[in-house]
Amino acid sequence: MESTGPSRTTAIALAFMAVIWISPFSWLFLNAFNPLSTGQLEIPRAVGLDNFALAVSGNAGRQFINSMLIAAGTATLSVIVGISAAYPLSRLRIPGRNAFLWTLVLLRMLPSAGVLVPLYFAAQRSGLLNQLGVIIALTVLNLPFTLLLLKNFFDTVPIELEEAAYVEGASLLQIITKIVLPMSRAGIAVVWFYSFTGAWNEFLLPLIFARVQDAFPMSVGLYAAFGQQGAINYGFLTAFSIIYAAPAVGVYFLLRRNMNTGFAGVGVKG
Amino acid sequence: MKNQANPWLTSNLFVLGLGLLPAAILIGALLYFTAWAFAFSFTDLALVGRKSVEWSWVGLQNFERLFTRRGFLESLWTTVIFVFFSAIVGQSVLGFLLAALLRGTQSSIRSVVEVCIMLGWLLPDIVAAFLWSATTSQTGLINQLIIVPLGFPPINFINEYALPIVTIANIWKGTAWSYLLFSAALDSVSREVVEAAKVDGATPFQRIWLVQLPIIRPHIATNMLFITIWTFTYFPLIFAMTGGGPGGQTQVLAVFLYNQSFSRGNLGFGSAISVAMLLIVGLLSLVYLRMLREPK
Repeated sequence: MESTGPSRTTAIALAFMAVIWISPFSWLFLNAFNPLSTGQLEIPRAVGLDNFALAVSGNAGRQFINSMLIAAGTATLSVIVGISAAYPLSRLRIPGRNAFLWTLVLLRMLPSAGVLVPLYFAAQRSGLLNQLGVIIALTVLNLPFTLLLLKNFFDTVPIELEEAAYVEGASLLQIITKIVLPMSRAGIAVVWFYSFTGAWNEFLLPLIFARVQDAFPMSVGLYAAFGQQGAINYGFLTAFSIIYAAPAVGVYFLLRRNMNTGFAGVGVKG
Repeated sequence: MKNQANPWLTSNLFVLGLGLLPAAILIGALLYFTAWAFAFSFTDLALVGRKSVEWSWVGLQNFERLFTRRGFLESLWTTVIFVFFSAIVGQSVLGFLLAALLRGTQSSIRSVVEVCIMLGWLLPDIVAAFLWSATTSQTGLINQLIIVPLGFPPINFINEYALPIVTIANIWKGTAWSYLLFSAALDSVSREVVEAAKVDGATPFQRIWLVQLPIIRPHIATNMLFITIWTFTYFPLIFAMTGGGPGGQTQVLAVFLYNQSFSRGNLGFGSAISVAMLLIVGLLSLVYLRMLREPK
């Protein structure tokens, strides 16, 4: 440990930073729980949940369901497609496998903006300018990362266990459902929640794909609400923001220890 | 390494191949879309109207427009400034400083600061955009707490200092990633090396600059590259806060692409912009691939 002098200065500097980082949040909460909110920073004269009641009813409630559908749909589809391909990729020596994996590493960097126009065009031609279209598009964009991550998790399951199960007479399906999946449960959960958060936060694709207000997820709904000129209803918007942010923040703290593995770079191992 | 003679695999090759199929199709679609973006960039395809159906090939006309008309080069420059100040100077340097400083402090302070930074990062982009729009508005937090009490008239930050404000917002939002990465990297520096430097009389600054920094250089390179690529194509925060305005001051490439393609409806020209973005990101990604392949 250092002597107390510099470490106290450090502590003050850090506390100062924390205050700066946190002050927009205090504003957010003070307004959300204040039914008479004006967008100012003030101690509420009344505390109530009226804003939250507004933020879950009517259009806003509909948008919450839309966001849930898109996020859960994308996560589930990603995991199903990912698992069924990652297992063979992990176990079989398919010719060209490494080239494929490197392609995935490269594709993972592909910005969605780069393929935006073709995505829109394809969705328009196939009548998928709706939530299903958003789910499929997000799954496609997600897949390189999902596949790499799941393959890495499956690689860590010892093949000897599968051998033993086979000797005992287990079928492929049994080996996968009884050994491989349970043993990589944590990894699968990470991938599911990671895809969920990504789709939950997604803004650009729903903005382009959602043609009617009924199809807006919360991201587009919030944007449309605070982008409107004129009187801004801060009470409603702050409460709406908190509801919208809660799942994304909650998931992280729920899976904190596991999540960090997914954020680091995913390489290709032989 | 892997035994090809695993009977539960070899007797089920058909099923396993079937499992690969959906992913292969979707990845194929992704590659196909990328190729499509290139093809569209040579056409005059439009979002609506006659040219959305009867488009024609126009050769390199879209790419000529990139360099001869106003818009693209300005937008590219804005993007470079935004990436440099928000990702490299802001997030990376601040993230590293925080990671280095927090190592010496009590765990309670450490977790409080950590949670504060993480909250910004975990927030959905649009919520961050709303928070910062509200904070910097004429009646917002900064004016209310700092500018007005000091006796100045309130400033409409988002109109007058649009690019600095979105840059700060992005630093606020994104520093956590760099912090996490550098924190993990510093954990991997062995304690003995740092102790040895201490015994030899190195100051805290020297210990960081001459001992720890060179050891974690690969992590720094990875981090820089990642956040450069992400920030380069980052769309929601800026779009929701300013829409690229005022007067195109914050029109980074992703916003420019959106405005051209979906507000003006020039899908062909928009594709040319996305091709330019893909080429730049592709180049950066190749650098990343090389770094992954090099033994650490």
